[in-house]
Amino acid sequence: MTVNETGKGAPVVTEPGETTAEAAEITAARAAAETATPDPETAPWSGPARWAIPALAAAVGVVMLWGAFTIEAPTNATRPGPGFVPGVIGALLLVAAVSLVVTGLRGRTTGVSNALTWFETRPVLIVLAGLVAHIVLLEFLGWLLSGALLFWAVAFAFGARAYVRDAVVALSVSAAVQVGFSLGLGLNLPTGILGWGL
Amino acid sequence: METLVGLGDGLVAALTPGNLMWAFLGVVLGTAVGVLPGLGSAMAVALLLPVTFRLDPTSAFILFAGVYYGGMFGGATTSILLNTPGQASSIATTYEGHKMALAGRAAQALGTAVIGSFFASIVGTLIVAFFSPVMVAFALNFGPGEYFALTVFSFVAVAAVVSGSVLRGVTSLLIGLAIGVVGIDGQSGAPRFDFGSSVMLDGINVVIVTVGLLALGEVLYVVARGKSAPDFAAIRTGRPWLSRRDWKRSWGPWLRGTALGSTFGPIPGSGAEIPTFVSLGLERKLAARRARRTGDPAENEFGRGAIEGVAGPEAANNSSAAGTLVPLLGLGLPTSATAAIMLAAFQQYGLQPGPVLFERNAELVWTLLASLLIGSVLLLVINLPFAPLWAKLLKLPKPYLYGGIALFSVLAVYAINASVAHLVILLAVALLGLVMRSFGVPVAPALIGVVLGPIAETEFRRALAASSGDPAILVGSGISIGLYALVVVAALVPVIAGLRRRAAAKTAQTDGPEREPVS
Repeated sequence: MTVNETGKGAPVVTEPGETTAEAAEITAARAAAETATPDPETAPWSGPARWAIPALAAAVGVVMLWGAFTIEAPTNATRPGPGFVPGVIGALLLVAAVSLVVTGLRGRTTGVSNALTWFETRPVLIVLAGLVAHIVLLEFLGWLLSGALLFWAVAFAFGARAYVRDAVVALSVSAAVQVGFSLGLGLNLPTGILGWGL
Repeated sequence: METLVGLGDGLVAALTPGNLMWAFLGVVLGTAVGVLPGLGSAMAVALLLPVTFRLDPTSAFILFAGVYYGGMFGGATTSILLNTPGQASSIATTYEGHKMALAGRAAQALGTAVIGSFFASIVGTLIVAFFSPVMVAFALNFGPGEYFALTVFSFVAVAAVVSGSVLRGVTSLLIGLAIGVVGIDGQSGAPRFDFGSSVMLDGINVVIVTVGLLALGEVLYVVARGKSAPDFAAIRTGRPWLSRRDWKRSWGPWLRGTALGSTFGPIPGSGAEIPTFVSLGLERKLAARRARRTGDPAENEFGRGAIEGVAGPEAANNSSAAGTLVPLLGLGLPTSATAAIMLAAFQQYGLQPGPVLFERNAELVWTLLASLLIGSVLLLVINLPFAPLWAKLLKLPKPYLYGGIALFSVLAVYAINASVAHLVILLAVALLGLVMRSFGVPVAPALIGVVLGPIAETEFRRALAASSGDPAILVGSGISIGLYALVVVAALVPVIAGLRRRAAAKTAQTDGPEREPVS
């Protein structure tokens, strides 16, 4: 497995009992943590990706408005009917989408901006593939195998490369969950093909 | 005086070696389950309900109390260490708690959380014991109009804690509200946004949204960040105990958080989310003001891991949990998922909570309250020494840590109804969480929208139905007018502060750089 080398503070030689050294150590660790995590919630968007959130808001808003006009209220329904609140939410979402576009157009492009250059697509796709495989195979393979597969896929995406050891860990965790929940709490997880012989 | 005697008798009945063992078991089990993503205290109590059939009521309640408090502490643990809160009530803790962990102060964050929880649940339980009749009378004043005002207030309270752009926070809230309207409309019975799927008719379960946005979304976000993600292995867990400075900075937030939680807890429907966010916002404001007054920027550590931002919300969370017992015991009205399961436990023993419970089954009520006290003492005794040990969770190899989180996320959702369709919805919500996080859109407001949106809609339409369409009912009482006044103040304060900041920046530009910003 790989270990990330970023954000590691300077080696500390002071005794942990001293308060000043302690404070310095905390400040150093904090500075390291800050450089490692730029806060994306304050960074403006840039590049073609900046239209993604306004588009998402607009899409959800349109669906809500469509619902507001097509939901059929039963004849005996009281006056703010079932379409009223979705209509309000949809209208507000469209307003929010327009405001996001306006602020995006006026936005200052100087300083730190979030153009998603850091985004690593490959490991994300591996995790998603693991999830899809788990969902598809859960009832056929059973919890033990499909759970272990998910664990292994996520571990692989995070850079684990000791395949055999990873598989053993994955199977043990998955088995522990199945035993703990089935025997201890009476929650039945699917056994799949492993249960056919029983 | 009568109360003290009752509570004393309850303690005597509850303090047997056998019951202490149940309490111990409850706290350990609750903490263990609470640490798993998506499995909060409600799930822990629900899973244990069948186990308690064979116990006598006293032991069962003691076990529940232990699980309940243990589960809440477990939720705080993962919020702080991994940024994956197990339930909505511990979201507020993630903001500063996880930053403290990244700065090597995980043990202190856990310490202030557990001591604050202990303090708040003791005070909260005592308040319930002494004042529940008064609180029941207050809660009875809440009609649909007042509830709606309360939810509007909480939406604004959430916006106040968003760190970046308010517009992004509002967008997130609206997306959450949109998720909340899916399913059969409770008022008219009309299906909404089901897209022909029978699973969608039930609405999108809150557990799916919580696990998808917070736990699985976090896994996807961390893997997408690759090398730019914080490296847990490099974090030193540091000295395990709170320093004198930590104590000095924690006790105020504990007190204020407890007061907020005890105020909001008994109001049906408010849940623990509102007081935790109000507490976080309040502590942030107070720290900013303190830093301005003393001129020392070190007084305000918000955004970099402020201990106040853990102490306050955790105290609020636990005292509001005690507060939810007021409507449960006094009115027979469960106001949270956990309270609903506790109600089922009462009925299992042939007890009907309600106004006469205190007279008819006084003994059992006192035992329950006493067992809550015992549960919180044990929580402190067991979990405080373990806080540094929990912090070691960060030392697990990252692939296995996140593999485990993904596995338990799937488990928590599958456990709802053994439905594969729920897992598909989970995948979609997790993708939404990834997109929102990648673009720096806060996910907490969306979750609050999903939780409180349906309540807001129901109460709004119920109020208008009661007044046959006259909107005056929405501002028909002192309580709702007071809440709307708070909303206006809360909405105007950031706007005015922004305008003043802008004006100050303008004058600073013309007058030279030495001038201090006014706000």
